[in-house]
Amino acid sequence: MSEERNRVTRRRFGTSLARAGMAAAVGGSAMEQAPAQAPAQPAAPAGGPVAPNDQLVFAGIGLRSRGMYDLQRLLPDSRVRFVAIADVRESARENVKSYVDKHYGNNDCKMYRDPAELLARPDIDALLIATSDRWHGPMAMWAAQSGKDMYIEKPGAMSINESYAMADNVRRYGVVYQSGAQRKNQFAFEFAVGLARSGRLGRLLAVHADTAIGLGTVDEGGHSWWPPETPEPEPLVLDWDKWLGPCLWRPWNSAYPDRGRGEFWDFHAGLLEWASHTVAMAQWAADMEHTEPVEYVPDGPTFRGDGLINRYTIYCRYANGVQLVLRNHSWMLLGSCSNRFEGTEGWVEVGDSGRIEVSPNLKSLVPTKIGPKGDPTGEHIREFLQCIRSRTPPRANAEVTCHTHVTSHAAWICAQLNRKLTWDPAKRMFLKDEEANRMRGRAYREPWRMEALATSM
Amino acid sequence: MPQTTAQTPTPQAAPGRGAAPARPVILPEYDALPIWKMEPPKLVAMVKDPSSTVFQKAIACKKLAFVGGKEAVTPMAALLSHPQLSCYARFGLEPNPDPSVDDAFRDALPKLQGRLKIGVITSIGVRKDPKALDALTKLIDDSDAEVARAAAASVGMIGGMQASRSLQAALGRTNSPVFPVAARAALLCAEGLMASNRPRALDLYAQLSAETMPKPVRLAAIRVLNAAGPAPEYAKKWPAPTGEAADRDKSGFLGRER
Repeated sequence: MSEERNRVTRRRFGTSLARAGMAAAVGGSAMEQAPAQAPAQPAAPAGGPVAPNDQLVFAGIGLRSRGMYDLQRLLPDSRVRFVAIADVRESARENVKSYVDKHYGNNDCKMYRDPAELLARPDIDALLIATSDRWHGPMAMWAAQSGKDMYIEKPGAMSINESYAMADNVRRYGVVYQSGAQRKNQFAFEFAVGLARSGRLGRLLAVHADTAIGLGTVDEGGHSWWPPETPEPEPLVLDWDKWLGPCLWRPWNSAYPDRGRGEFWDFHAGLLEWASHTVAMAQWAADMEHTEPVEYVPDGPTFRGDGLINRYTIYCRYANGVQLVLRNHSWMLLGSCSNRFEGTEGWVEVGDSGRIEVSPNLKSLVPTKIGPKGDPTGEHIREFLQCIRSRTPPRANAEVTCHTHVTSHAAWICAQLNRKLTWDPAKRMFLKDEEANRMRGRAYREPWRMEALATSM
Repeated sequence: MPQTTAQTPTPQAAPGRGAAPARPVILPEYDALPIWKMEPPKLVAMVKDPSSTVFQKAIACKKLAFVGGKEAVTPMAALLSHPQLSCYARFGLEPNPDPSVDDAFRDALPKLQGRLKIGVITSIGVRKDPKALDALTKLIDDSDAEVARAAAASVGMIGGMQASRSLQAALGRTNSPVFPVAARAALLCAEGLMASNRPRALDLYAQLSAETMPKPVRLAAIRVLNAAGPAPEYAKKWPAPTGEAADRDKSGFLGRER
């Protein structure tokens, strides 16, 4: 964080503007499931080489498998100069440094164990953040409070309250935020959304989103079990206190760093493994990006008490009557992260398979050549870099990410309580359900804090 | 109804990552499920019981966050001084709407130090307890800088006129590392005041737009002020160009502003 009184000079201000004003193109896309070591498509800067003083100075926080994947698409862009990495794991820090130094042919990438030290550097303009889920919200808020733009992996927040706090901080400090919901820049999804938004489907009836609980299970006990305690690693190797961050304390076990997200409620963001993409897409298609459904109705087996509620449908309804239907994983067999939008005059379905299925009356609208089917992360990063220049919100900005997350968390609370819930988007609370309202937040473990205007109690 | 290419969802296993994994092997002493199914009176009894393990008390607090009433407050508040369980007690107490929670946090404040005190200060801020403002204002000058920072942040979260006065005073007497947090808190406070006392909020924003403020706070304040209208001293800020500036001013733009 910028913890010093402002000493901005006219020259530094001018330099920042110049950095923000560079235009070029970023490296292309590649398949999402490609191994992290796979070489990224080389950069193709449209504007030619960029002078070092005019580059955007980037740093990374928590870059491992997905983070390295993003880094490989960011680093070749000539507008970017990557200078530092912060990570609680020594091995991860060194891995990123090694990769970056090899790319630049020097030894300049600085390493930090504490992200606060990195955030305090005034020379850093923007961040690539790909920590585990529990740190996305706090990191986004700290980055915003430090005046740094950010490309941050999803999910963006662990609770309803954290979703609002994240978006409020980004708005308050005027930074550019791009969530890693990269399908917003993928052709098939853009086409489907365009059909819905243009009126080609007639009056919109329902938008469907493929969701998944994630990589593991969440049970009625909140998956609050603890593996047995084992001796903690040296903080320099893995800083357990910082790894846990704002999550509830629990004794160390080596299982957490490898299995931490999927199997433990404390580290898990509910439906948002896929909902971060698909609900975002559904709300975009329905022109409901700045609100949430007002009603949530669960349909499926109740919690069994010993594991999964991976078979479910949650019917949600927006104030205008349009339905949002949350399905469980891969229900349409169009690949992961599938969506279906249906109206009075037609329907469209898309997924990660890259196929576009439409009702017969709309077949003539589907292009014969439908563009790249692969993962659009490169395009998504490129949009982010352009928005840093123009200071305009990118497609997966904090505001729409917030509403995607509130919707998904509200649906997840509905599933956990297994009862119909009514939501008031203006008051940011459930109506006549105190237990559900209490589930909107997760108190941060000391000494971490949100620094946000509190949501109604 | 429109047709679809989708398979009818069935309760049978679906392909891919959604297929049901087996429940992991869980040691009985670390199994949360039996505790999770308890009714509130039993959960409260478990928190109170000196023979309960740390795990049992932790999970009981976690569940009481959603279902605990007034009777759960005192037992959980007793854990606020416990190094490992304090976070669970706060997790259980923060969302509890009973007003006795605020009393419990305020009572705990002078008895705690370091991290545990910071946790309680933060919870008070989350609950927006105006009765704690006097105590928190004093803590902005605490010798423990982290306590002071947490106190400033919570004053901002509580907001209102008294909080704005506290923070305005703090901006005049604190230095790094407390000053930047006080500035952010004042920004938060100003935002909260915009609906209830706009002139006071704009006054605070004007103070936060000074060059001495941390850059992110200053820019945030300037953006709000820009949206509110032009600076009152607009005309005075454009002196007639002289010397080299006048020579460069081919358009005459600067001169027009006089």
